[in-house]
Amino acid sequence: MTLSAGLEVARSGLAVTAGQTAVVSRNVANVGNPLASRKIANVVTSPSGGVALASITRVTNQALFDNLLAATSASNAQQAIMAALDRLDQTINDPELDASPAALVGKLADAIQQYASGPHDGTRAQSAVMAASRLAQALNSATRTVQDVRAQADADIANSVERLNALLAQFETINTEIVKGTRAGADITDYLDARDRTLAAISEEVGVRTITRADNDMVVFTDSGVTLFETRARTVTFAPTLIYSATTVGNPVYVDGVPITGSGSMAIGTGRLTGLVSVRDDAAVTYQRQLDEIARGLIEIFAESDQSAVPALPDATGLFTWPGGPAVPPAGVVVDGLAGVIALAASVDPLQGGNPALLRDGGIAGPAYVYNTTGAAGFVDRLQEILDRFAEPRAFDPSSNIDPLATIGGFGAASAAWLQEARRSAAAEVEYRTTLLERSAEALSKETGVNLDEEMTRLLELERAYQASSKLISTIDTMLGSLIAAIR
Amino acid sequence: MKTTFISTQAISESTRLSIAKLQLKLAGAQKEVVTGRLADVGLSLGYKTGETVSLRQEYERIRTMIDTNGVVENRLELTQAALQAIVNAAQDFVGDLLAARSSDSGPALVKRQAEMALSGLLDKLNTASNDAYLFAGINTDVRPVTDYFQVPTPASRQSVADAFFTQFGITQSDPAVVNITAANMQTFLDTTFAGLFDAAAWAANWSSASDQNVRSRISTFELVETSTNANEAAIRKLASAFTMVADLGTENLNQSAFYALVDTAAQRAGEAVQELSVLQGTLGTVQERVSIAKETMSVQVDIIASHINLLEAVDPAEASTRVSTLLTQLESAYALTARLHQLSVLNYL
Repeated sequence: MTLSAGLEVARSGLAVTAGQTAVVSRNVANVGNPLASRKIANVVTSPSGGVALASITRVTNQALFDNLLAATSASNAQQAIMAALDRLDQTINDPELDASPAALVGKLADAIQQYASGPHDGTRAQSAVMAASRLAQALNSATRTVQDVRAQADADIANSVERLNALLAQFETINTEIVKGTRAGADITDYLDARDRTLAAISEEVGVRTITRADNDMVVFTDSGVTLFETRARTVTFAPTLIYSATTVGNPVYVDGVPITGSGSMAIGTGRLTGLVSVRDDAAVTYQRQLDEIARGLIEIFAESDQSAVPALPDATGLFTWPGGPAVPPAGVVVDGLAGVIALAASVDPLQGGNPALLRDGGIAGPAYVYNTTGAAGFVDRLQEILDRFAEPRAFDPSSNIDPLATIGGFGAASAAWLQEARRSAAAEVEYRTTLLERSAEALSKETGVNLDEEMTRLLELERAYQASSKLISTIDTMLGSLIAAIR
Repeated sequence: MKTTFISTQAISESTRLSIAKLQLKLAGAQKEVVTGRLADVGLSLGYKTGETVSLRQEYERIRTMIDTNGVVENRLELTQAALQAIVNAAQDFVGDLLAARSSDSGPALVKRQAEMALSGLLDKLNTASNDAYLFAGINTDVRPVTDYFQVPTPASRQSVADAFFTQFGITQSDPAVVNITAANMQTFLDTTFAGLFDAAAWAANWSSASDQNVRSRISTFELVETSTNANEAAIRKLASAFTMVADLGTENLNQSAFYALVDTAAQRAGEAVQELSVLQGTLGTVQERVSIAKETMSVQVDIIASHINLLEAVDPAEASTRVSTLLTQLESAYALTARLHQLSVLNYL
């Protein structure tokens, strides 16, 4: 060992310390960045005894990161569902407000009971018809709400697809840089962080799986196995539908022509897209069916039958009617969108110049359907028949997902129960998934994140090392000075 | 070398998230304290929401029924009162008839009494409550009977006059009625005159009421007749008893014919009183059923209300304890956050 060798080593020490300080300051700068990983300067000793900065790597944990991606996708799917169910809840609201279709069905039955207790009283007739009118309006507006929710979900799917395409394009740029950088041996840690961030953003929209190949090249699949990215970003396409009615069927989302939503074998299982599609094609559709069945039940209850001595005419719609009237909708089968078009018969509705007393007398469908043939003001048989029908169980379409045999009030209540149970389980699921996401993020952050205190202590260490190296240089300089002085 | 076990981000994130969660819970708990009900009933009850929606329907339905039973009760009470007045009048009339037999001025007096009793009966039958005629059956908007003595002569009085003239060839006011024998009078009363008060003739000449009584639903499963009508046999019999004394020339009859008339009238009125009490009994039974139904239903309403409460209400003491716990937690979370942020090696460098 010579003094000059010592000087050389001290100099390399200074250079490495400076490099390490740069890494520390990068770490400190990223302390508030949730997905930034801690960078490590790897120092090697050279054969000459000096030190050198070999490379900069980052702390990473693939398993925890995969957990984070899965948790992000799952929690976003549930949040999309929960938001939509909260909007559907507008149609029911607090049971105390008695604003749900079920409560209004009850109110209508009550109004008819009141009418039956004073059948001569025009005011009671009016109030019964008004109760019916409120119910029809509530069903109409509930249908609008449900279809709005579907249209909104469709628009959100379009936004989500747009974002997904932008993210995949960004992913492509970053991935290309990483592959190039890896081959050139450059510091790619910041690119790797950026790619992780992009991937986390992608996983919000759709569940993903990844494979890392040689040169840090990453391939991204959906959780169902459709390739989203391999060297090049694949195109995600979706044709939005602007206006929704009960019979509208939304379009699926395609990746490279393969449908990734719906019931196909390549359908994704998590991510916001899944949640939105399930709202649009499943929850909202089922709820609409339930509303439609309530509407059909009402038409059935108020339907009039031929009162002639020898009945020849088919049953016809009474107080409640629909565009297919005067025919009564077929029993036990849902008519899509019925709740949106159910209306009061103009001949009964006082606002349309009708006569509310027809509710008592019958004959809304025509002269053959008059029940009160003598025109007695105290005639209650028709009203009592209607009340009996309210209390009778009737058959509903099983595709409405609730007990197919129930009274109309019971069916309405079951529908409210169905929606609120969906909300409750979605809320529980959201809470669970969110907690899981928080834990995954925390675990990953603990494992790979930056701790300010640690960086500061390392900085102290580096400061000391720098001082020591400097001291060495000055000492060696003094020694060399004494040597030169001795020679002189 | 990996030495970190927690990152700065993880520390601050965990306190931030727990504060956010506590605030969310606090908002709900505060609402529960104020309203005494669950903050979001549907979300908390889930499928059980169906139960509270059903219970609320049931509650409203029973309340409505209690309400409509009030209407029914009122109608029954008024009907009973009217029937009682009719029975009293009939009994008084029987007494008047007996008195008339043994008095010289009997015929003229009892004729006047009969006229008044008949008017009174028809008046009672026209009792209306709440814009509906009580004795009209389901024809509640049509006056059941017309005044016998009004001008122009109503069909009822005309039919009596026609029958009398056909039988005896003279009008009731003709002094020649004194020649009618007791036997002839009895035959007339038992056949032609009685025929004027059978169901068909009554409906044609006297009454616009319907035979069909009003039916009301007094509880979920009980649909009962809750009125009577002016066409009942008892009413017709009583009307015939009053009419025969009031409008068959009573004041001019010879004594034996008068006795025949008075005896028949007394017999008819007596029968009518009996039948009316049966009618009152029937209505009384209905009244009792209504009041039992009302009682049962008011108990049901209370039970249902307490069930709804059980489902939707929160224990106020529990809710306010929860609020104070949450407040304490939140305060300590704030304090902890502040402390954690102060805790940095930077302060010691």
